[in-house]
Amino acid sequence: MIAVAKIKSGGIAGSASAVAANVNDKRMPLPRELDGVVHILTCGSVDDGKSTLIGRLLWDASDLPDDTRATLQRSAGVDGQPDLSLLVDGLAAEREQGITIDIAWRYFDTARRRYVIIDSPGHEQYTRNMASGASHADVAVMLVDARDGVKRQTRRHAAILDLLGVRRVILAVNKMDLVNWSQDRFEAIEADFRGVTAQFRFETAVAVPVAAKLGDNVARRSKQMAWYSGPTLLDELDRAPGRGQSHSGPFRLPVQTVLRGGQDFRGLAGTITSGEVRVGDEIIDAASGRSARLRRIATFDGDLSHAVSGQAVVLQLDTALDIARGAVLASSSARPVLARQLDTRLVWLADSPLDTDRGLLLRTATDLAPVSAIFVRGRLNLETMSQSAGTICATNDIVLADIELGRATAIDRFADQRETGSFVLVDALTGATLAGGVVVAAEAHTAAIADDRFHLSNELLALGLCGDVAVGSPEFRRRAEEVAIILRAAGVEAEVECAR
Amino acid sequence: MNKPLSHLDLLEAESIHIFREAVAQFRKPVLMYSIGKDSTALLHLARKAFFPQSIPFPLLHVDTGWKFRDMISFRDRAVARIGAQLIVHTNVEGAARGVNPVDYAPSLYTDVMKTQALKQALDAYGFDAAFGGARRDEEASRAKERIVSFRAAGHRWDPRKQRPEMGRLLNGRLGTGETARVFPMSNWTERDVWRYLLREKLDVVPLYMAAERPTILRNGQLLVLDDDRLPLKSGEVVTKRRVRFRTLGCWPLTAAVESSAADIESVVAETLAARTSEREGRLIDHDQSGAMERKKQEGYF
Repeated sequence: MIAVAKIKSGGIAGSASAVAANVNDKRMPLPRELDGVVHILTCGSVDDGKSTLIGRLLWDASDLPDDTRATLQRSAGVDGQPDLSLLVDGLAAEREQGITIDIAWRYFDTARRRYVIIDSPGHEQYTRNMASGASHADVAVMLVDARDGVKRQTRRHAAILDLLGVRRVILAVNKMDLVNWSQDRFEAIEADFRGVTAQFRFETAVAVPVAAKLGDNVARRSKQMAWYSGPTLLDELDRAPGRGQSHSGPFRLPVQTVLRGGQDFRGLAGTITSGEVRVGDEIIDAASGRSARLRRIATFDGDLSHAVSGQAVVLQLDTALDIARGAVLASSSARPVLARQLDTRLVWLADSPLDTDRGLLLRTATDLAPVSAIFVRGRLNLETMSQSAGTICATNDIVLADIELGRATAIDRFADQRETGSFVLVDALTGATLAGGVVVAAEAHTAAIADDRFHLSNELLALGLCGDVAVGSPEFRRRAEEVAIILRAAGVEAEVECAR
Repeated sequence: MNKPLSHLDLLEAESIHIFREAVAQFRKPVLMYSIGKDSTALLHLARKAFFPQSIPFPLLHVDTGWKFRDMISFRDRAVARIGAQLIVHTNVEGAARGVNPVDYAPSLYTDVMKTQALKQALDAYGFDAAFGGARRDEEASRAKERIVSFRAAGHRWDPRKQRPEMGRLLNGRLGTGETARVFPMSNWTERDVWRYLLREKLDVVPLYMAAERPTILRNGQLLVLDDDRLPLKSGEVVTKRRVRFRTLGCWPLTAAVESSAADIESVVAETLAARTSEREGRLIDHDQSGAMERKKQEGYF
């Protein structure tokens, strides 16, 4: 887990020196199952002491093994403090540069639950890495040096977190020891932080004065800062609701695949991304608008009467709706939009800028739809939150873009549904992930397909490329979509008959 | 099912989700089955993902010819019980040249009999995606690994060319010559695997449980002699010790630990109570973690 090398096969794995612990040693028996999981994004630069802060959390609050502790203790300098940043290791290339360029995943357990730390770089040239990290996070810890206070970077970080739907943020004001534990200094930074967060939609935004190197207010309350009565960093993390603990919101299940079994079992397999569902509930297919009642919730471990967000299940409906991968099952009262026109915000992830002549695909939770046009309306300045006109989008840019799809897909507004309201843009030919996006608004699809499109009929396809496979089979559809993609990349608008 | 989901429930669901995404997006996937506890959990998750269908891809075991005999018999039993298709591949050329873990440096042996063998098998069958049980908590260079990890032609891994992953969205679209490795258990920890094996009542290779076994002490490590192919050095004495393994591989390269945990319950209790890292005692060893990174760039799984 933590900076501890393992040679899986290049040497001898395991070791006689690391003799298994004596079971009779009854220190802290760990529970077999923990209550949920919380994903924490840490953002800040090396100079702010981020590695030390993460190391301190692991050191004071987690199940860090004794031998790791002993080794680190031996590395302690003259001040008696071990260098906790050593617990946070990275790739060789990054170590040489002394910076973290990619997100790294670390895991630790407290007595109650699992924490996942997603460690992301803070510099502007790594906005895309931070955006990727933020897309996985439930809570974010932003780090500043008490001597510097809130910087331009802090505002940029807050904007990225808000864009990607992180609703709980913590500002760790680090190195309080270097400003003489000054209450005035902290309160000034806290006021600046409130100014920054006020313009976003965070549910909670809390500033905590810490000294990661010494441990003050990370997992234990500082004796130096008796004036501070707020939560420690760990207290505040513990307040974040874990995944798997609440199931609010309308039901959504993007269909991943169809699984069959026995005579008449046709199950729609997927992960519930929002809400919950019970046998007997009315469920709607967002694309066709047709509804059915839920007959069975099947799993390997037996049928369920009720399933909640986060669970991977197989649903059997009482009526055979013609549904395949890419469909979104929803509660009939609050359903996704079937849209071809999307108003979006994009984080440009690729090294190369947007090339509107290339074939693009839009990947939603489980659908892959061709993009027929993309129009960049402007670029967002994350430090001022102002928009500048422009149609260029390059690495790390956050842009506002209108996207028109070659066919409609079921999608939500990101503000309503984090999972079914986000997507990635994919290069049709190289497969590269070009951008991550969120749906700001989606227009319901009504217009008929224009006449100037090339129509790839099943008959035509069966005569040619798809002649050796059954009409309508997954392979038939796959090849048909590929033909359409190539045609679109060549500038010919094409639509496929067998596409939903 | 009204109780909140535990962290294991969430990890299981995430793994199932990844399996289903990969099977929907790749044309010809395969599951790397290495017989150990991680593979046992991985195989079980694959069964859950496609229930009520059977697993829609074959299993691939790269056999170096130096696995413990108990591993091979366990493999054959496990595969027969679930009716999966098993492909066993050995680098015949390497074996014919006599490459073995006794006379050759571990790095060269691993490269020829595991890395090269794996590439041969993936190319020979034309697999475009391979599931593996690797976890991000295993090793520093893996902490940054993606769930879907792309390999250029020749199976090379370029850490700078990996695709950013957004939320639960997985993009498995391949470029020319690319193949993918898919890690459904990326976010599991060592302890989670044991917890899960116990919860799901899964059988593991008996070598994970303590028993009296013939051992020698070499370079501070306990080796269990599985046959007579390892010549003893002067002064080495074969001694019966109660030992078990934490990881399984080629037997001359896998060290045992002394333990009295003779059933899976006790092993899990021992693992959860362990206050030493599961890795060997080597700590913060930059050379070694760099070595793993290099191996990955060369195409090691």
